[in-house]
Amino acid sequence: MDIFHHIFFGLGVALQPVNLLFCFTGVLIGTLVGVLPGLGPVAAISLLLPATFRAPPVASIIMLSGIYYGAMYGGSTTSILVNIPGEAASVVTCFDGYQMARKGRAGPALGIAAFASFIAGTLAVVGLAFMAPPLAAMALKFGPPEYFSLMVLGLTVLTFLAGGSMLKSLMMACFGVVIGNVGLDLITARPRFTFGLDILLDGVGLVPVVMGLFGISEVLLNVEEKLSERKIFKTKFKGLLPNLQDWKESIWPILRGSGLGFFLGILPGGGAVISSFVSYGMEKKLSKHPEEFGKGAIAGVAGPEAANNSATAGAFIPLLTLGLPSNAVMAILLGALMIYNMPPGPRLITSHPDLFWGVITSMYIGNLMLLILNLPLIGIWVKILKVPYPVLFPLILLFCLIGAYSLNNNPVEIGLMLLFGVLGYLMKKFKYDGAPLVLAMVLGPLMDNSLRQSLLMSGGSGTIFFTRPICLVILGVVALILLLPVLPLISRIRKTVEKTEEN
Amino acid sequence: MRNTDQSSGLFWLVVGIGIAISSLKYGFGTLHEPGPGFITFFAGAILIILSLSLFLSSFRDQKTQVSLQTLWAGLETGKILYVIVLLVAYTFLLKSLGFLISTFFLLFLLFRVKGTYRLKSIFLMSLLVTVGSYIIFEIWLKAQLPKGVLGF
Repeated sequence: MDIFHHIFFGLGVALQPVNLLFCFTGVLIGTLVGVLPGLGPVAAISLLLPATFRAPPVASIIMLSGIYYGAMYGGSTTSILVNIPGEAASVVTCFDGYQMARKGRAGPALGIAAFASFIAGTLAVVGLAFMAPPLAAMALKFGPPEYFSLMVLGLTVLTFLAGGSMLKSLMMACFGVVIGNVGLDLITARPRFTFGLDILLDGVGLVPVVMGLFGISEVLLNVEEKLSERKIFKTKFKGLLPNLQDWKESIWPILRGSGLGFFLGILPGGGAVISSFVSYGMEKKLSKHPEEFGKGAIAGVAGPEAANNSATAGAFIPLLTLGLPSNAVMAILLGALMIYNMPPGPRLITSHPDLFWGVITSMYIGNLMLLILNLPLIGIWVKILKVPYPVLFPLILLFCLIGAYSLNNNPVEIGLMLLFGVLGYLMKKFKYDGAPLVLAMVLGPLMDNSLRQSLLMSGGSGTIFFTRPICLVILGVVALILLLPVLPLISRIRKTVEKTEEN
Repeated sequence: MRNTDQSSGLFWLVVGIGIAISSLKYGFGTLHEPGPGFITFFAGAILIILSLSLFLSSFRDQKTQVSLQTLWAGLETGKILYVIVLLVAYTFLLKSLGFLISTFFLLFLLFRVKGTYRLKSIFLMSLLVTVGSYIIFEIWLKAQLPKGVLGF
């Protein structure tokens, strides 16, 4: 079988000592940021991105991916023990995980979370290995009009799935497109939106924007909160291994969660977060004892934990096959691949097989490392949780400051980061989602390019998007998604019109 | 502006108008040969439409709206401003004071924002973190942190 040949090739790459080391570092940092509230995987990856510029590209991507799925593991620990989700995808784990801990079953809750994540991660990696190559082969037939429509679809799905108001998410996507196009126009070599600043000629860097929007803003939000004591359970972690009954109740939720997460992960927009919520809802509906949910049902921990992990693997599919990121983390990885001069897209699998198969198999190895890291070392992670926030937040800020400065050894990058930090803080206050902005920012230049190329191809006729069948289908889906929220509004207006007519 | 959607809608409306006007200045081009401001003009124009509809719809369902004051009610807003001022000052002073001095002072002040520790322990913590981060980033990762006018 061809696929096994590829997987063995990938294992050969992933098992090289340097890659093993980077993988280990990645999952370790990932677990750490997952455990620490107020520092998510997005901020952590963008923080470490500049540090990887001097390392081999494959090892760097392996490490950055490790941070991503490692954070999913670590996030569950804080959810279960302190009822504070370490990152957004573990919010659901609080519902039943914390209740289990209160009943003295913190051990099995942590155990099943780790096992569920491991099983889901493994299944998803296998799915990724099977699905990506045929998809990439299909994508080779895509031209600029198809790519442009796909990006529009990606942004639309994202705004539809992302939390909060779709209107606001669309607004952020528009703003992101503009931010992404700041700098010299590649075709005419004229500056756009640079405000006379030389540093903006190269465009606004992704790292300061992301660190500001997701790192600094989070710190600012926490600083204004009045501090409350975090209560950590003083249970001894005897018996982390779930018993036979636990397994019976969890195994199907884990398998269902894995499948669900994987496919939701492929779609753009908060895959891990959404899939954990959907899995929880699904398990509650399917359960014979739905009344136990919210009171410490182990299935309510197992399903969502599996879902959020397989979603992280699923998210790699659009990035590695189409070159289109489906969430903020993937957007940063896209930026990283561009910097390493390995533009992701349908040709990546054939042109850089070591990167593609190496990263995929490293995720499998990383999952194994996480299992070993998390179960026996749980005591250490609990200790880290006890670092008080007044001490923690200056450290987070310092990391961001150094990270931004060392991009170009220029304080202007820090200023940019602070600007986006304040913007991110206000956006959170006014309930605007940051993810569409980042995604659109990365896609902005690509969209600009493919749109202009399409128009050049067609000789200035916009009909090119409606005469090519694949384009037409994609844009049809876009129209459908955009109209969905408007439909209830139309029917409401109709009703009021009818009423007034009757009167 | 009584509620959040009105004020933020208005803000983005202004931003959208700014984007659209400057895009036209950069050159819209033609459909045959789109100019540098082509896509940003559309992004700005859509932003204008969307923010207008946000602004207008906030008048329709008044009940679901959050007023501006409640956003900051019961929170320590002063601390936010203080932290931002510290960070901005750090940005401006970093080059002239150098990494070691400016970082030490920043940490010393930041540790006091939320904590109630004794000055001695704050002093030690700041010193420890400054030296530690210097070792990690400057010596180990060779990040070339600024030296400042004093030469260290």
